[in-house]
Amino acid sequence: MSKSARQNTNLATAGEPIVGGLRRRELLQLTGAALLGVPLLSAEAPQNLSSPLQTIAGTSTTPDLLFVRDHFKEPDVSLEKWSLRIEGAVQKPYQLGFADLVELPSLKLEAVLECAGNVANGSAVSSGLWEGVGLAALLEAAHPDADAVAVLLEGADSGRLFDDCPALPYSQIVPLTKCNDAESLVAYKYNELALPKRNGFPARALFPGWYGMNSVKWLSRIRLLRESDRETTFHQSGMNRLYNRVTQNDGAEQITRLSGIQLKSVLAWPTNQLKLPAGRHLVWGFAWSGANAIRKVNVSSDRGETWSEAKLDSAANGRGWVRWSYPWLATPGDHILMSRASDSNGNQQPLQRDPTRKDAYELNWCSPVHCSVL
Amino acid sequence: MSLIGVRRFIAACSESAAMKGTIALVFCCTLAIAADCNTQLNPQQKLAEFKRLDAAAETAMQQHRPSEAIELYAQAVCLVPNSARGFYGFGVAEAAAGRFLQAREAFRMSDQLQPTTGMPLLMQLRVNYSLQDIDALKANLREAAERFPQDAELHSALARFLAEKNLFVLALAESIRSQQTANDTNTKLQLAVLENTVGAYDDALRQALSLEQRTDAPKEMRGAAAGVAGLSYESLHNSEQGVHYLQEAIDLDPSQENSYLALADLLEQMQKYTAAVKVLEQGRRYLPESRAILLALGADLVRAERYQEGINALRALLREAPDTAEAYIALADAARRMGDPSEELAALRQLERVSPDYPMLHVLIARCLLNKEPADYAQILHELAIAAKRNPTDPEVFFLQGKAYTGLERYDEAASALQHSIELRPLDPGPYYQLARVYQKLGKGEAARQQFERVKYLESNAVK
Repeated sequence: MSKSARQNTNLATAGEPIVGGLRRRELLQLTGAALLGVPLLSAEAPQNLSSPLQTIAGTSTTPDLLFVRDHFKEPDVSLEKWSLRIEGAVQKPYQLGFADLVELPSLKLEAVLECAGNVANGSAVSSGLWEGVGLAALLEAAHPDADAVAVLLEGADSGRLFDDCPALPYSQIVPLTKCNDAESLVAYKYNELALPKRNGFPARALFPGWYGMNSVKWLSRIRLLRESDRETTFHQSGMNRLYNRVTQNDGAEQITRLSGIQLKSVLAWPTNQLKLPAGRHLVWGFAWSGANAIRKVNVSSDRGETWSEAKLDSAANGRGWVRWSYPWLATPGDHILMSRASDSNGNQQPLQRDPTRKDAYELNWCSPVHCSVL
Repeated sequence: MSLIGVRRFIAACSESAAMKGTIALVFCCTLAIAADCNTQLNPQQKLAEFKRLDAAAETAMQQHRPSEAIELYAQAVCLVPNSARGFYGFGVAEAAAGRFLQAREAFRMSDQLQPTTGMPLLMQLRVNYSLQDIDALKANLREAAERFPQDAELHSALARFLAEKNLFVLALAESIRSQQTANDTNTKLQLAVLENTVGAYDDALRQALSLEQRTDAPKEMRGAAAGVAGLSYESLHNSEQGVHYLQEAIDLDPSQENSYLALADLLEQMQKYTAAVKVLEQGRRYLPESRAILLALGADLVRAERYQEGINALRALLREAPDTAEAYIALADAARRMGDPSEELAALRQLERVSPDYPMLHVLIARCLLNKEPADYAQILHELAIAAKRNPTDPEVFFLQGKAYTGLERYDEAASALQHSIELRPLDPGPYYQLARVYQKLGKGEAARQQFERVKYLESNAVK
């Protein structure tokens, strides 16, 4: 018997029905409760979770499969007590609660979120429909000073990043121009549901097109900064030492702050080292870029010697990813599969890591997937 | 109405603070043209006439004649343009007639004429929902928060309305506002339910457990709180606590059908079918009329291998509610487990009669027919042809086709169907094995060996 037939559960029967019409299992699924083997919430240690991309059925990552990369222990944020303070280089600092936030006009958009340290064929990447309040409108309501140039975003999670640094809240600094982008949000919903707790409930920053570290989770404070504001939690905590692009050319080291997501594609299936019977198999995966639309994905089954064009199964929706597929006629033997994306500006995903790079971020080269076919 | 009358009416409207906007002015003009009000009456006569029109309009509304009510209210507010009640009734009539833009304007007028009550604002919000104008709906919520910050009842009513419309996050926001001013148990319970609904399980648990422990609260309330706690624990994958609190919900308030169903469901997930049966039997004693409990009990008796009792329960249910599709599925399940394909087929045919579009129905029938002796392959292929038409990418359909053709010794067709099944689901060893046997029948020894090798290969594959 299908279980759903008997689960119209509304236990708040002392008052009027609250959850009318929805069956409980459907509701639990809707609210992301049906976790697929993912560890529990309220973790004691920083979480580092992601699910294989092959588990994504359509074009969107379900809330229970959203990747998690924490720096500190997940904070115990109470919904009723949560507030977001906007202050710093402003004329009218203010604070708003969850109810105030969600009742403001909101924007929905598809966006990819990728960890800057996601490995070449890694799964620390998710895409779906976000909803939130425009960060620009929230800042504007505080009447920023004319000389405000950047925004410090602080989460409710805190800890010590380095031995020589004090325990401080997680924080990032984002240029005011980026915060004023129409797409920059304080997000409180994902795929039409409240954010999962481990993904920043009740609200987080969201900078579509940028790597995930700037999209501060459990957002609790926004402080506008002037050029002269140097002593922030961002600097004191040592966060300024992380998430930098380090290149070395002729012995000279250059350091720049990471921001936009690099052009990338991944093979979701087959997974590495999979054994396959000979025959036709549908190879598939995802492709995305922080700045431009995906135009094409090519697939190779001979380590990049030859390439064939894959079919784009979904259109690039805003800043979301594209799902692609390719019917591969697998012949007996060992194969090395690769995918390679191109964007609307004619950029191609690199075949190899830039040898001048000395950091471990923006790992977007075409990664080989080994497959043996019988 | 004469032109002079129209001008007077518009002038009266314009004096009202409500009439500043163009839309409102247009609305007023519409009223003026629609209504033929007698401006010659003295104030007392106007009031008497207003009361008569108002009563007639109410009667029209009660008798589901909103168009007539609209006309009567139009005349009423034409006579007394500063009547909040008149505009409120007018808005209700317009909304009932599905004229939501006009209804919104009428409620706006009513609100501005009598800004001390939240009802017109609540009605504007309902109309905005009907218009799917969520930005305007949110503006209503902000206005309610600003103008009625202490009105817990209004915010609670807003929360209920929004929850009914599945706008759970907004409902939660209003419930939080309500809780901030009214710290009563009803509000706390509403908040706990909504927190659980949106996935704020820790918050839901905090609220629900504090309520459940309040011995001064009514048992029904504590039972509902225990139920919320049970569901939140379940969502947090703490099944043992989930069971504990759902049982607590039943103990505190045995009259709630959903508590039995939720607990039995959780026990099913834990594969504790005997315990689930016990819970549902308890539910039957308290709620003997509940068909949902009877259905669940029948299915769980089957799962607990008490087949005949399960069948009896399901048949009892079908005597009362012969269209219950899930009961036929459970009956078919019982028959299959008892090794009785004829009974299984009978149950599935009854299901076909009451629910011909039931998902995978024809695959289930074909699978059942394959187990019957002698197998009716023509019928099986007929069922599978229907299934393939409905879902041409279901590999199971072609796998079963392969088996049916094999039974008919039509090996080439069997091989073709199995190859198609493999294309659709290349990592399932079943079709390879079946294909190997078909190749053997065709005398293709090498091809058969290759397929057997692939079966072994796939079975050794650490597919994630």
